Amino acid sequence: MDEASLIAAAQKGRMDAFNELVLAYQHQVYNLAYRILGDPASAADATQEAFISVFHSIARFRGGSFKSYLMRTVTNGCYDELRRRKRRPTTSFEDFGERDEDANPALVNGHEGPEEYTERQEMARVIQAGIETLPPDQRVTLVLSDVQGLSYQEIAEATDVSLGTVKSRLARARGKLRDYLRSQGELLPARYRLEYVGSEE
Amino acid sequence: MARLFRQQATERERRDELLSAYLDGQMSAEERARLETQLATDRPLRAELEALRHIVALVRDLPPVPIPRNFILPQTMAAHPRPVPPPRHRRAWAAPLLTAATAFASLLFVVVLAGDLLLLGGGGLFAPAAEPQMEAPRVAVEPSLVGETVEVEKVVSEEVEAEEVAQPGVMPTATPLPMPTAATAEAERYNMGTPEGIDATVPALGSGGEPIEEDTAPASPVAEAGAVAPTAPATTTATMEKYAGDAEPTASAVAEVMPPPEEEAGAVEDGRGIPEDETSGLAPVTLWRVLEVTLGLTVLVLALVTVWAWHARRR
Repeated sequence: MDEASLIAAAQKGRMDAFNELVLAYQHQVYNLAYRILGDPASAADATQEAFISVFHSIARFRGGSFKSYLMRTVTNGCYDELRRRKRRPTTSFEDFGERDEDANPALVNGHEGPEEYTERQEMARVIQAGIETLPPDQRVTLVLSDVQGLSYQEIAEATDVSLGTVKSRLARARGKLRDYLRSQGELLPARYRLEYVGSEE
Repeated sequence: MARLFRQQATERERRDELLSAYLDGQMSAEERARLETQLATDRPLRAELEALRHIVALVRDLPPVPIPRNFILPQTMAAHPRPVPPPRHRRAWAAPLLTAATAFASLLFVVVLAGDLLLLGGGGLFAPAAEPQMEAPRVAVEPSLVGETVEVEKVVSEEVEAEEVAQPGVMPTATPLPMPTAATAEAERYNMGTPEGIDATVPALGSGGEPIEEDTAPASPVAEAGAVAPTAPATTTATMEKYAGDAEPTASAVAEVMPPPEEEAGAVEDGRGIPEDETSGLAPVTLWRVLEVTLGLTVLVLALVTVWAWHARRR
């Protein structure tokens, strides 16, 4: 069954059809939430709430990109969570130890050795930390674009802003992330450092 | 200096925006050609482009995070395809509405307070004791005088006659009693302010009752009953004089209208005696106060509920 048929069946209340859609998109939705929130538990909550919300409102879905619709729902949930955190800052349990979400032995490239794998994981952690330094709007735009691979148009739909705003937010987010990685300097693995690029300036 | 930094930051942002759009292919052919020409000669700009390209590649290469569990929904949820919206949305209208209600109630409260100050001269909440002092004695005195005036006059005239017999030097006159000048002035003011019909009755008391009120002798129990304070000497307060003066004409003028002494208690209970005085004296003040207190409490409660509503809405 194709996506349109699954959506039509889900709109009639068929849970099995909707769960097909869940299975198709849950990785993307969870990864988006995780990259925005930086916390596995919050990301799982946001993902579950997004699917529940979409199921309840799917009857009102009138065509267009279902992926954008889903991404917008989870993005809104992430915005809510970030606002809640801003109002009531708490220390996540995960902050006490190293997050190992990015350490996934199953994803070890067959060509890379243990050292390269460790470097890659370290770099992923630094980048995630850099993403979390960005303001919510820029963070969401960067993740939707560079992690999720959405087009400018899809991002504009998902975040309810104009194309120009998407362009501007994305450029600022990349610029800030570049500055952050440069500030990390020696902490980064040699092959990931940016000095050789920016030293000519 | 700060302006220079701001200018540099703005230029940098503009450059980043151009380079970022260039990387994503979000430029027109003309813009693209212009930038490429610039890149060919500008090494730092080329370096920045490479840095951004590197960043984008790093972010795109982030390993996908494995999901902790499946997020499929239970079949039971299908029974409720369109549930009611979450409570937050249902209550969303409450906070603005409560804010408007609080503002309206506050405005009303201010208007009532202003009205109190302007119309009653602050006799409401801000001067709670002022009105009762003025009004209460009148209410207490008049009914008692109404019924007893005739008797008082009789008894007083009898006593005066007795004193005249005992002290032939004392002349019964209608002139005011010897008393402190301030009190005299006040008494005169009250006498001047009384209508003709009332003045006509004053000599009746003055000729009969005033000799009793010499500072040497306390007022007789009968006369004092009419003047409210049974044990106080008649000259101790000018207020008593004033009320005696006020009460007397009222008593004589209203004597026919008011019920006789034996019916007084019943009349008061029926609400025929006192209410007339209350409505003209105490009732407006009491109403103002009740209104002010009620409005004040309403504003307070509304303000608290409004704060709670906004707090709940943000949650």
